Amino acid sequence: MNDENLVRGLVLIAIALTFGLSALRYPLGDFSRAGPGLFPLMVSSLLLLIGVATVIKSRFDKRKPLYFNVRNISIILLSLCGFALISKYVNMIAGIVFMVFFSSFAASTYSIARNAKVAAGLVAIAFAFQKLLGLNLPLY
Amino acid sequence: MEVLHNLAFGFEHALTLQNLMFCAIGCTVGTLVGLLPGLGPLATISILLPLTYSIPTGGALIMLAGIYYGAQYGDSVSAITMRIPHASSIVACIDGYQLTLKGRTGLALFTAGVSSFIGGTVAIVVLAWLAPALGEVAFLFGPADYCSLMLVGFVCVSFVTTGSLLNGMAMCLIGVLLGQIGTDINSGMQRFTMNLSFLVDGVGLVSIALGCFGIAEITKNLDSGEERSPFNGKIKLMPSWPEFKRIIPSALRGSIIGSFLGILPGGGPVIAQFAAYAVDKKVSKYRHEIGQGAIEGVAGQAAADEAAARTSFIPLMSIGIPENAVMALMMAAFIVKGIQPGPNMIATHPDLFWGLVASMWVGNCFLLILNVPMVRYWLSVFKIPYAVLFPSILFFCSIGTYSVNNNLDDIFITVAFGLIGYIFMRLELDAAPLMLGFILGPMLEENFRRALLLSRGSFSIFVTRPISATLLGFIAAFVIWQLTAFILQARRAVRAQPA
Repeated sequence: MNDENLVRGLVLIAIALTFGLSALRYPLGDFSRAGPGLFPLMVSSLLLLIGVATVIKSRFDKRKPLYFNVRNISIILLSLCGFALISKYVNMIAGIVFMVFFSSFAASTYSIARNAKVAAGLVAIAFAFQKLLGLNLPLY
Repeated sequence: MEVLHNLAFGFEHALTLQNLMFCAIGCTVGTLVGLLPGLGPLATISILLPLTYSIPTGGALIMLAGIYYGAQYGDSVSAITMRIPHASSIVACIDGYQLTLKGRTGLALFTAGVSSFIGGTVAIVVLAWLAPALGEVAFLFGPADYCSLMLVGFVCVSFVTTGSLLNGMAMCLIGVLLGQIGTDINSGMQRFTMNLSFLVDGVGLVSIALGCFGIAEITKNLDSGEERSPFNGKIKLMPSWPEFKRIIPSALRGSIIGSFLGILPGGGPVIAQFAAYAVDKKVSKYRHEIGQGAIEGVAGQAAADEAAARTSFIPLMSIGIPENAVMALMMAAFIVKGIQPGPNMIATHPDLFWGLVASMWVGNCFLLILNVPMVRYWLSVFKIPYAVLFPSILFFCSIGTYSVNNNLDDIFITVAFGLIGYIFMRLELDAAPLMLGFILGPMLEENFRRALLLSRGSFSIFVTRPISATLLGFIAAFVIWQLTAFILQARRAVRAQPA
């Protein structure tokens, strides 16, 4: 199962089925008067074919272990979610500070002083965006 | 003569103080961001796209174009000095880096700068002549022809960017499907929205671009965890006269090759670089040196790169079909500004069209006089450790997403696409064809439905129209070639296995 080529094919099949099966719920119409479901159904059928072909092809290709680092991507995505939530309920300055300090866990070294400087710099840039470019940022 | 008149008209618009400023900002910021590790033109444009929303139309387009060339130049600088292979400057890593190893970084950077200028200038002449003429041709295109043209674009982009037709086509199709999310324009029915109100208008382009390019790239760099050694060498820029003379013929060859290859669907800078490099290797007077740090090895590809970057605007502005992912993003920027690129654009917005063409040359001059001498200072970007850099890139990604609609919830969509982009990247599925599919998807569907409406449901319309038939023939030939290659390879693999 731990084969990149095989997993790729399975993922493609899954995407094709997700879109294809929901497309079936929309009116298909006929070719001269295509309904909203027809085109997505055709596209996902093609994608399904490609997915199946990829799975078949993976039997001929050399196996290649799949590499997936859960830690880094989770840290990055969580820091973005945190930024959005804190900016929404507190303010954006707090959001920026959180994002810098939390995302840095993904770096190879962790330094509070460095993070403080980065956060201060980014807050300054955010103010410049707000005043000079007229972006509507809820900074405070 | 008319071309000269039009160009003069364009320069009138490009040379206003305001537009000059936007051009300079675009080139500078583009270069700086392009220098950063892992950020090629696609990522740079995605990150900076939202910043142009508050700028007037003409200025915004000029600035975006400036960002594009700047990013490309920045890319080649990081390729020459540190051999960081970006998607868009792979060839510059070969001879350019060899020159750096010989202590001739300055010469390589100067050559790249001057050759880009020559390439850009040649391409602008081609653009000014050809775009209006191709615009006339575009009026012959019916819905069926547009469909086939977009399919050719998909096939070419898939093959060129990923090297695997299967993977690339899959990404194009996924992009098309993502473009279907939202309200169907013909029936008003909501598709794939899962009853979520924020999906009714479809998924935002910026969210997809930043998720798949910005966030996925950052995470990839973090995963590899490599510490880069900053570039600390001294730089002597000016070449000697005999060296300078070697630049010209190679740059001119590269410009012509690049201008031509840039126009073709799926074309653009990447193939142009390889083609120019290959030609130089065959015909250059110094061909025995190429590969070990020859001036020609840098000059030809840099000129082709720049020329193709300019002429790839031709299909977008004359036919209205972007031929690669960068142009698809540019098209999105045009549409955000309320301009539909296509055959009518030259007639309805001559100031924008010719202003943009003229600003390309102005941008070239900026790159030459501003960036080439300043490059030693800009290399200090590399001294910034990645631990400082990536939170800042994250910040720009989130501000970029937010400022499209002033909506913090959009960041969650970007997060979702960050995850999807990361998974795709780990499965070696390149996101560039996905972008093209996403932007062309709605157009493809509309033309497809219209073509079938015209033919009363008969698919023969795609093969009876000469333009469409030719294009489909091309696709068929390509697919058959790929299939044959695969079957031969599989047979060899089966035979190689012991029974």
